[in-house]
Amino acid sequence: MELIYNIFIKDGGWLTILNGLKVTVEISALSLLFGTLLGSLLCFLRMSKFTPLKIFAQVYIAIVRGSPVLMLLMLLFYGVLARAGMPPVAVAVITFSLHTAAHVAELLRSAMMALDRGQIEAARTLGFSKWQAFQLVTFPQILRIAKPVYQSTIINLIQWTSVVGYVTITDLTRVINNIASRTMQPLITITGGLLIYLAISWLVHGIFRLSERKSQLRQADS
Amino acid sequence: MKKIFALLMAFALLLITGCGGEKVSDSNKVKIGMITRLNASEENFEKFVEQVEETFKVSIASHKPVFFDNFNSMLAALQSGQIQEISTYTCVARYMIAKDPHYVLLKDHSLEFIDSFCFGVREDDTELKDSLNMVIKEMQDDGTLGKLAKEYITDIKTDGEPTAIELPHFDSAQTIKVAVTGDLPPLDYVSADGKPAGFNTAVLAEIGKRMLKNIELVNVDSGARAAALTSKQADVVFWAIVPVSEIIPADSDKPAGMELTAPYYKDKVVHVGFKADEKK
Repeated sequence: MELIYNIFIKDGGWLTILNGLKVTVEISALSLLFGTLLGSLLCFLRMSKFTPLKIFAQVYIAIVRGSPVLMLLMLLFYGVLARAGMPPVAVAVITFSLHTAAHVAELLRSAMMALDRGQIEAARTLGFSKWQAFQLVTFPQILRIAKPVYQSTIINLIQWTSVVGYVTITDLTRVINNIASRTMQPLITITGGLLIYLAISWLVHGIFRLSERKSQLRQADS
Repeated sequence: MKKIFALLMAFALLLITGCGGEKVSDSNKVKIGMITRLNASEENFEKFVEQVEETFKVSIASHKPVFFDNFNSMLAALQSGQIQEISTYTCVARYMIAKDPHYVLLKDHSLEFIDSFCFGVREDDTELKDSLNMVIKEMQDDGTLGKLAKEYITDIKTDGEPTAIELPHFDSAQTIKVAVTGDLPPLDYVSADGKPAGFNTAVLAEIGKRMLKNIELVNVDSGARAAALTSKQADVVFWAIVPVSEIIPADSDKPAGMELTAPYYKDKVVHVGFKADEKK
């Protein structure tokens, strides 16, 4: 017990861990936001009837999804954006947004492909405009279908951010590594770090479960 | 379908046994953890070890080197029994034993190597290299480096840790970005409050004072030190190793594009393991 205290609490160690956690959450949240927006746009381009845009989206998704995120991050930070003078966290957010966008685009496309086209046609026959059909028929169903995979994407994103120590960012993993080196207790420290990541994943899972429950209740009420 | 499955399983088994299978002779060797050098492949380093055996007519073939990207994963491997010993420096070994008395300094290896610790700077940054060399020489001549090494390395307390030193600030002076890894205590480590501390900050604070320049510390993973330097995300890398030996090339830890300053610290390479009765 004393060892655990010395590793995680003593001399304000827990505050340092919290600061690392804050950085991890910050990068993950911003990347998720921008990645989702960009991913939606990419999905739109990918499904477009205009061939050059479709090909652009296809190539983008193929390259980014097939690249290890650490390589992409190092390439941007130490290469492409090295002279831009951008803060490391901004480069990390750009990298993870680009990477998440490719995944979000594909998950949205698969959700759209799972939709029954007949429903949209029926809505149009009933006099719904294109926008109304999308807003009232397509969109709610996409959300429902994409939700479980989107949840996995968020959890994956949080785990991917653990490599930002390579670009001078002190995130949760970096803090855990620093503590492990200082205390010479890597196995216990890494287990502690793993539990924190697990807690975040469960929190994300809990939020999705809660929103699912709420929508079920709403459906039952109506 | 069953045939395809069986074929796939057989292929997977072949791959697993093919990749993981060790030579019979290797399985009896003591696995010793080493940190990967920035400019020497693992194969090269194994060749250096063979050269050492030939030159000094000694047998160190009883050890098989296993390479790690950072000290942390090497220590985890030692704790989990993946390796039996680690190759590190006397000061690190002393720090390890002070932190955990289960570790012990092993005295059964017949060769002793000494490594010098230098700063890494960009090849084209000759001005900075010259300034650092000048300051290092001054600090060596007036005994400052020795004093700092005594305070932060030799006399390190077993119960506490050296505190982080405030780095000097000079208004409108140039800022030198120094990459620290926090991965080699007590030379380079990060204190509980998240600030780089110990010998590294003490040396850098003194250098900053003498050069009248601001020092900004950036924490970077060991494997990304060279990339941080060459891409100008850092101006100086806190530590790079120069072996004091004719057999291991002096540039084994100096990648292309990096120049090394004069050494600011030297230490002997030692082996550390668990006490015989406390092997985990």
